[in-house]
Amino acid sequence: MTTHLEDEQLAQWVLDDQTPDTAAATHLQLCARCRESYAELQEIARLSKRLPRLEQPPSELWGQINAELGLETGPVPGTDLREDGQQEPTALRPASPERTNPSPAGHPEVRRFRWRALAVAATVAAVLGAGAGVAGTLLATRDDTKAPVAETMIRLTPVAGQSGDGNADLIQENSGDRLKVEASGLGAGQGFYEVWMINEDGKRMVSLGVLNPQTGGTFTIPQDLTQQGYRIVDISLEPNDGNPEHSRASIIRGTLPG
Amino acid sequence: MTFRSNGRHSPTEFARVPAVSTSAAGSPSPSDIAKAFAEGREESLADAYRQWSALVFTLAFKALGNRTDAEDITQQVFVSAWRSRATFDPATGQFGAWLTGITRHRIADRMSARSRDHRNTEAAAALVNSEAAADQVDQDTVDRVLLADELAKIDDPRRTILWLAFYEDQAYPQIADQLALPLGTVKSHVRRGLLQLRDRLKEVKGDDAS
Repeated sequence: MTTHLEDEQLAQWVLDDQTPDTAAATHLQLCARCRESYAELQEIARLSKRLPRLEQPPSELWGQINAELGLETGPVPGTDLREDGQQEPTALRPASPERTNPSPAGHPEVRRFRWRALAVAATVAAVLGAGAGVAGTLLATRDDTKAPVAETMIRLTPVAGQSGDGNADLIQENSGDRLKVEASGLGAGQGFYEVWMINEDGKRMVSLGVLNPQTGGTFTIPQDLTQQGYRIVDISLEPNDGNPEHSRASIIRGTLPG
Repeated sequence: MTFRSNGRHSPTEFARVPAVSTSAAGSPSPSDIAKAFAEGREESLADAYRQWSALVFTLAFKALGNRTDAEDITQQVFVSAWRSRATFDPATGQFGAWLTGITRHRIADRMSARSRDHRNTEAAAALVNSEAAADQVDQDTVDRVLLADELAKIDDPRRTILWLAFYEDQAYPQIADQLALPLGTVKSHVRRGLLQLRDRLKEVKGDDAS
């Protein structure tokens, strides 16, 4: 009478990168079935370490498919909100093809998960029936023939040693992306405030323009910038020195979900 | 703390994770879609597109490396699936696997065409290698896209937990902390999620006929 190893136990060993205990190891040597299960799970775990982002085809493709088939084109599938507020895939933004690992281990930005933690926790709470409102993604389907607008709001929080806070609201439409930025309590430094999109590679950045902290501002984002990994929204204090580069004096920051 | 009180609880995180739930109201299950598709009911094409267009498009995009080709392939796949719907038997086949099979064939055709073009312009020396690669879509890439698609279809909170574990590379305590869930719950979700992904992948790779 052979007692096979539990799948869950095998999965745990795989996930924890642990070697099965002696008894289990012996069993694995003798039992092809368990060995196969174990190998399969190791394979899934290996593959899961580098999962790609799902990419969405452009919304006009649906019409093209129907046209080719001579069918009536209904609304683009997947633009509706589900009962629980989860969006269908339409608002999924593609990741840049060269980035397979969106969140490099050891990324020094601990803060980047703060707002997200709140958002994710709130959702799970909602799923579990506790419920809490939080900034998040809103899909507004204006009507069935128009593309949806996806809105993603993130908090901007002070970098170490600075004060202030704000929001960045990413508004995604077929016509392009815009970033609406509001800030408060930035202090009264010498110079002006500038909005940057910094790439998660920590090397490249693009300036969106000057921010008036009293009124906030809405900035056009060059196409595909967020997809290319420019997800860190950074407000810096720039001296009036005519140097177009980032002063390195970041005040508040947030990271768009990637 | 900023609140957007729209009555929806959808974290920005989910802008990345399509929630294709098979249990949501008004969202038919894959097997319902498959059956309606085989019967030629037109509304099922939209349902199929909603469920599988991201998978098809992403497979093509990862394999071919550019969006224009991926759009072409996606269009071809859905058009040809609809036209050949009579050849799909919902009783014996898994619809996702069938579509994936069509997708892989289309990708391979496109790669062969490319390599023919390439051969026409390049020296014969280069062709041995390119030919070997031409009809092969990298299996790991395909599996990873399939897994990503399956993960997106898992219900919450497991989907979020797996997302944080696999995409964000977060450790259990970090995830537990973020989601205000007991550590044991998180671990068990990841464990079962891994088993679930394995089973789904097996299912969807069950047959590659098209």
